[in-house]
Amino acid sequence: MIKLTMNGLEVKAEEGWTILDTAKFYGIEIPTLCYNEGLSRYGGCRLCLVEIGEEPKTKLVSSCTYSAEESLVVRTDTKRVIEARKMMIELMLSVAPNSKIIQDLASKFGVKQVRFKIRNEECILCGLCVRMCAEQMDGRAIGFQNRGYKRKISTPFDIRSEECRLCGGCIYICPACQLRCQGPQADTAVCNACLTMDPTCLDFYDDLQCWMYDAGRCGTCVREKTEESNNKKQTQKSKRKEKNA
Amino acid sequence: MRKIKKIKTIKELEQSIRNQIHARKSEKKPVLTVSAGTCGQARGSLKVIRSLEKAIKEQNLEDKVKIKVTGCHGFCEAEPNIIVQPQNIFYQKVQPKDAKNITSQTIINNKVIDQLLFTDMVTGKKVSNEKNIPFYKKQKRIILGDNALINPTDMDDYLSIGGYRSLVKALSGMTQEEIIETVKQSGLRGRGGAGFPTGYKWEFARKAKSDTKYIICNADEGDPGAYMDRSLLEGNPHRVLEGMIIGAYAIGAGEGYIYVRDEYPLAVEHISLAISRAEEMGLLGKNILGTDFDFELHIIKGAGAFVCGEETALIASVEGKVGEPRQRPPFPAVKGLWGKPTNINNVETWANIPLIIENGADWLSRIGTNGSKGTKIFSLVGKINNTGLVEVPMGITLKEIIYDIGGGILGGKDLKAVQTGGPSGGCIPKEMLDLPVDYESLTKAGSIMGSGGMIVMDENTCMVDVAKFFLNFLRDESCGKCISCREGTRRMWEIVTDITEGKGNIGDLEFLGALAKTTRDASLCGLGQTASNPVLSTMRYFQEEYEDHIKYKKCPALVCKEIVSSPCQYICPIDQEASVYIALIAIGKFEEALNIIRKDNPLPTVCGRVCHNPCEIVCTVAEMGRPIAIRALKRFIMDWAIEKGYQSPSKQKKQKKDKVAVIGAGPAGLVAAYYLKRMGYKVAVFESLPVLGGMLTVGIPEHRLPKKTLNFDIEYIINSGVTIKTNKALGKDFSIDDLFKEGYRAIFIAIGAHKSMKLNIPGEDANGVIHALDLLKTVNLGKKAELGEKVGIIGGGNAAIDAARVAIRDKNCEKVTVLYRRTRKEMPAFEEEVDNAIEEGIDIQFLVTPIKILTENGKVIGVECIRMKLGDLDESGRRRPIPIEGSEFALELDTLIPAIGERPDISFLTDKDNLKISKWDTIEVDDETLLTNREGVFAGGDLVTGPRTVVEAMAAGKLAAESIEKYLTGKSLAREYKLNRPSLYVEPVELTEEEIEKAERPKMPKLSPRARKKNFKEVELGLSKEKAIKEARRCLRCELKTKDGKKAIGM
Repeated sequence: MIKLTMNGLEVKAEEGWTILDTAKFYGIEIPTLCYNEGLSRYGGCRLCLVEIGEEPKTKLVSSCTYSAEESLVVRTDTKRVIEARKMMIELMLSVAPNSKIIQDLASKFGVKQVRFKIRNEECILCGLCVRMCAEQMDGRAIGFQNRGYKRKISTPFDIRSEECRLCGGCIYICPACQLRCQGPQADTAVCNACLTMDPTCLDFYDDLQCWMYDAGRCGTCVREKTEESNNKKQTQKSKRKEKNA
Repeated sequence: MRKIKKIKTIKELEQSIRNQIHARKSEKKPVLTVSAGTCGQARGSLKVIRSLEKAIKEQNLEDKVKIKVTGCHGFCEAEPNIIVQPQNIFYQKVQPKDAKNITSQTIINNKVIDQLLFTDMVTGKKVSNEKNIPFYKKQKRIILGDNALINPTDMDDYLSIGGYRSLVKALSGMTQEEIIETVKQSGLRGRGGAGFPTGYKWEFARKAKSDTKYIICNADEGDPGAYMDRSLLEGNPHRVLEGMIIGAYAIGAGEGYIYVRDEYPLAVEHISLAISRAEEMGLLGKNILGTDFDFELHIIKGAGAFVCGEETALIASVEGKVGEPRQRPPFPAVKGLWGKPTNINNVETWANIPLIIENGADWLSRIGTNGSKGTKIFSLVGKINNTGLVEVPMGITLKEIIYDIGGGILGGKDLKAVQTGGPSGGCIPKEMLDLPVDYESLTKAGSIMGSGGMIVMDENTCMVDVAKFFLNFLRDESCGKCISCREGTRRMWEIVTDITEGKGNIGDLEFLGALAKTTRDASLCGLGQTASNPVLSTMRYFQEEYEDHIKYKKCPALVCKEIVSSPCQYICPIDQEASVYIALIAIGKFEEALNIIRKDNPLPTVCGRVCHNPCEIVCTVAEMGRPIAIRALKRFIMDWAIEKGYQSPSKQKKQKKDKVAVIGAGPAGLVAAYYLKRMGYKVAVFESLPVLGGMLTVGIPEHRLPKKTLNFDIEYIINSGVTIKTNKALGKDFSIDDLFKEGYRAIFIAIGAHKSMKLNIPGEDANGVIHALDLLKTVNLGKKAELGEKVGIIGGGNAAIDAARVAIRDKNCEKVTVLYRRTRKEMPAFEEEVDNAIEEGIDIQFLVTPIKILTENGKVIGVECIRMKLGDLDESGRRRPIPIEGSEFALELDTLIPAIGERPDISFLTDKDNLKISKWDTIEVDDETLLTNREGVFAGGDLVTGPRTVVEAMAAGKLAAESIEKYLTGKSLAREYKLNRPSLYVEPVELTEEEIEKAERPKMPKLSPRARKKNFKEVELGLSKEKAIKEARRCLRCELKTKDGKKAIGM
């Protein structure tokens, strides 16, 4: 067993676990995007960043690729981590603003604007499809081409690959090109509907009664956010914070 | 081919090294060492070698001299060069035609050929011995030095300088632990960039448990402008091999790889040859030298991805995978190539190993600083005189590298910054020149050592553009795996590109900083983690330059094309569209050209004659030859207009009620009045003198600006409907309050600087001392000046030269002497005016300053002077003159004319006027709006700035008109800054090949010095129509190279 500290908590990891594995085991939430349990670790989306080491020599690493080490000090939600994460989301959003998964991440982490020029490329090169094809479907029909800003995902020589069986695994796993955000279109590239929506049913019931909210389609009984409900949300948030602490 | 005898034991190797050393020592023949690395070959060294061979054959010298073809000697600037041994004579820039000379002169007659020697730029003397050349003198060439001694394709040659002795020592007398301990003790750190201690790295790899281990030599040198690894592999491959064999033995590796760029064909050739020779000799392979140590070495040619210099990406590439980094740990020392412990070092690091083993750890650790030991090779490139590879001890200052070794900045310009560490490095500003060069100091300064690129940038470099260049490189070379690096570099490049195109916003800098920091924090490998350095370091040291681009849409270095458009228009204080009227002249549309000129300039006839033409100084053509004669072209159009009688603008139709008063009818006042009138205001100009024009009329002599032509412009302004009130002086005839009472709603004061400055030496009040401005005023107003026979002028500005030329035209005057305290180079007067003065027989004495005016009966009889020499730079950037003691001398004179500058005469102001005055007697205003501390009162021109040029005063007038209009209409006075663009794009003309070849700046036709004697006829005569059109066709039309320009002409 490897002993390490995570957010001040002493935790134990098994040989071969990454920081992310350990955090998951202990129920500490670290957002991920290019990570998938069934696929090899990639570390490209940089969402699962955590801060390791002790002051003043700390650094950010991707928890999905960094192995748990003896007496490692890990913090998953420092200011530096959160700021970096928000910037990653903003960067992703600027190239794939229609992705529901990324829009949801933006909502969740309070990314309210995209300051970059929007390029509707609908691909963030997270490589899930490439790994899915190779590792789960034994296809190897697609891969990365070029490097730097010219990097793209394609078949060899950009022609239809003999290896491709049209299984659709790549589309299934893609966070950007398939599942579109259905929320109301905002003026900017950020939808943030989930941030501005307040389910009306909570005024009548203590619990959220509607499955549509969980499915992300709440909106039929939506009203403009008021100051009062804003405050309510704030108190809920702070309560949750206290709980976490 | 000679059969190679395999060396079977350590003893045998020792013996052959001894034999080779002996052979070298007993060699009596002189040797011609020719540098033939890639750069030498590019400069033609192979041709030089062939001609040398031919010359030797022709002169039957085959037995008397030897040619040795070596790798690079480091001094790129002097390529191809030859070192003649044993005398160590250094011949630079040798041409094939010099070959015969070298053999017949130097070899046969033992004579040094002077013209092939290097000239020391400081002393101006020729240097014959290589060791005395400043470029080599301060270097410590423990690694590179051997390049000049050996033929890299001949292993025996390497043995003859004691090569492979370290291998003997390591294999015969040292345990593996001892070797590692020695490397550790030496303090050697990785030369590839990160600077990890080499000995510790080896220890990790040695301690890793595995049957198979690898070592790798990283020769994937990808930094733009860095080439020391290439030079080592080309010039001394066996040194690297020896280091690797020792390393492999110490670590316990059985196989090694050299990962070298495919773009280095000569390096690949030489290292391949070295490997096969070493294999044949038995230094590589099984049971090396009879021990049980096996080691094989392979070459992998990299395809040129910058990221493959990162060790994990390099390993992936060797394995045949895509060159992408992976997470460390596990470090390669634990899990490297094919999952086995691997040790990677850079070429230069490996080359250090044999030296450390041979000379011991202390030998290396004595060189350098506390934390950084030994030497480091830098490739010194950019705007530097001695481009080349320099090897210096760690801790040397940047100043020593740039000025002592590098010989200073090209063209005598100013240094701006030094970029170290390639694209991942940063820029260090000139203020930090005393920075010691070692790992820690460079990191602290926001840069890195990197692999040793050192790019020197001069004052004409735009730092935002530099950041853009490196970001462009990085967005290409990022592997693209991490979004932080791939998108981060791309987005940073986008933001910086917008800034360089004048599309930046104030918030951009903060955002850019945040993005840069996140890219650094969030990326996986060294490339991404350092990719922000070019941005962060330029923002740290050159924030103002970024702000200039964003806020003022200015690029101070005139580099950013989209901002500058055409430099002539960009630099012009009154925004004259020079390139447009030049283009119109080129196609013969003179009237259109006139309209373009007049649009921005109501005094074009004046400017065409006396403007200090900043446009010509920045003209792009000047980079290759002499600038376009822009001022002469403007004059041509105005002379044409005068001849055709193009006058009077149509009277302004729209009328506004508001009254504006302009005080002073000099260039600032007249221009302000003209533009205010054009806006429809009722404008009155008050002038204390009986004539209009201010300094233009009273300060500039007739022979430069005839009154007739000046009046052409003044009439034009009067015709626009401005009311003129001459002989009305502020303070004497009226006050500011009076004007407000009379209903003027805004006032612009531009009364210039008319008070001469005093010399502050004894005897200044004597009879016969006339201040330059007083003389010019007297003569210009048609009165008689009282000058003697021998006239002395003190000063070096335009007023001094004007006064001198007026004096020499005086009937009494026989001799005029100008005394100036610096040299001609520092003289502020126009160059052609100084030429004209000399032509007219005026004697100019440089480095002389007066200390006392000699008088007799209250009259000047002479001046006592002292000679000066130039010292250090002062705050104006010129070298400060220092008096030479004991060099005093007297000069006989009867008239002395001080011309050392003017100040505004503010005696007219009273407390009631309530205007804020600076300690230089100028009026304080807000620079951006020209508003004084009093509401509705604006001031500009020399009164505010002190004596400046005509066009700067005119610019103040223009700005004042703009501000007053905003003030009167109740708008905010804040200025809006726009991109510099012409109002019209003219199709370019096509030039024939012949025309391009023969194009040159025309000489301004002038009256002969004889025809100028004792009269005030205009000296310069103006260009003819043919000459003007020909000159206009020479323009490169910079404004057409912007996006807007290209679009406008359909490109």
